[in-house]
Amino acid sequence: MAKVEGFPCMLKISIPFPNPHLASTALRALSVDAELSPLVRRSFSLSSNPSSESSSSEASTESVLVVDYCATTNRMLRVAVNGFFESLGVVVGVMKDLDVDVIGRPMAAGEGLEGVQGLEEVKV
Amino acid sequence: MIALGLEGSANKIGIGIISHPSPSKPPLILANLRHTYISPAGEGFLPKDTALHHRAWVVRLIKQAVRQAGVAVEDIDVICYTKGPGMGAPLQSVALAARTVALLWGKPMVGVNHCVGHIEMGRSITRASNPVVLYVSGGNTQVIAYSSQRYRIFGETLDIAIGNCIDRFARTLMIPNDPFPGYNVEQMAKKGSNLVDLPYAVKGMDASFSGILAAADTLASQIDENLPESKRLKTEDEEGRQVLVTKADLCFSLQETVFAMLVEITERAMAHVGSSQVLVVGGVGSNERLQQMMGMMARDRGGSVFATDERFCIDNGIMIAHAGLLEYETGVVTRLEDSTCTQRFRTDEVFVGWRE
Repeated sequence: MAKVEGFPCMLKISIPFPNPHLASTALRALSVDAELSPLVRRSFSLSSNPSSESSSSEASTESVLVVDYCATTNRMLRVAVNGFFESLGVVVGVMKDLDVDVIGRPMAAGEGLEGVQGLEEVKV
Repeated sequence: MIALGLEGSANKIGIGIISHPSPSKPPLILANLRHTYISPAGEGFLPKDTALHHRAWVVRLIKQAVRQAGVAVEDIDVICYTKGPGMGAPLQSVALAARTVALLWGKPMVGVNHCVGHIEMGRSITRASNPVVLYVSGGNTQVIAYSSQRYRIFGETLDIAIGNCIDRFARTLMIPNDPFPGYNVEQMAKKGSNLVDLPYAVKGMDASFSGILAAADTLASQIDENLPESKRLKTEDEEGRQVLVTKADLCFSLQETVFAMLVEITERAMAHVGSSQVLVVGGVGSNERLQQMMGMMARDRGGSVFATDERFCIDNGIMIAHAGLLEYETGVVTRLEDSTCTQRFRTDEVFVGWRE
């Protein structure tokens, strides 16, 4: 990303996904919420995984989400990027457990439901 | 039609699945899960910590709700989430999950107003036809009546919500937050019997609660049991004798004062609108003393009061699913680009297309 006047602190984050569909879904989900601070700018794009053997032969192998950040100070950059990673965690968590092909699987062992109100016996 | 609703505007995250079998039949509640973020006594919940809690719980609650409802992904027609009002970070966390689920499952989305969710769920559960609505919670205090496709705000708090006042009063007195401070204040109030003067601030149809909060700080410092008796706060009991004021008395006095204010502005709205029904919604609506006082007023006016229990009074996902499905059935869909959140979302901004 080209240097932006007044926004010297830059960071590029590349996040590989298993397939282009998931990468595109993540981009669409994450890009809706704007950055709250005018001191931070952010843009999303997709790119191919350079280590992929088929990268030269297929056009639809863009399974890497690329996020370009620039901010006025390192502190603003850190706050924004931390927030982004927390949001990314939600998206990946939803994909891991709630995608159409995995939602029927039982809950992972470490995830209990203690403290949840409204639980009833599960109808099977 | 079946809707999945996600609610997370404050410290409770709720996931609900509701079915509208047909327009003439009552809705079916297939699942209604909720988890509450509880902060230590003396502390309120902060947006950042609350958002962390919601992120940690949203996936497993959705998974459990779908299992409990016994529906498949194909059966769900629409994903509803709270668009606002509420705390920014918690709202955004839940909206992001809703957006991701909608994209993965290929479903449309509806952004729901939190207050309209409470009203519609209250109407549905209680079958109240056209009540004056008293919406009381930690973040909202409004007297609402329906008119010409809008939920009109006739009166409201001018500063903090009544639930906020009660919660912060509890914080001052170091009352626990588990299960929630309002409930603990309610239980302590039952043990109190001596009334302490607190600021009564009704302004026409509106009310103000910040004066009570300021008074609480002063009063709390005067009931310390370590103080010499001559310095402790006293009031008169029913027989006119001077008695020392306890924490329970303060809770009792708080409830009597603020609920009387609510009764007054609600009655004024009922007289203005010509309605004889009151529907109390929102978390504070689960308070039995408030229901009792409102019931007395409504009966004196020849009407009745409606209230739901804590499954639906307190923030929940099923109310978002219900209100969202009502909107969806009128053709309302929130585009992906518009599926953001807003911390301020006035009740009367919503076009109520599902009512006559």
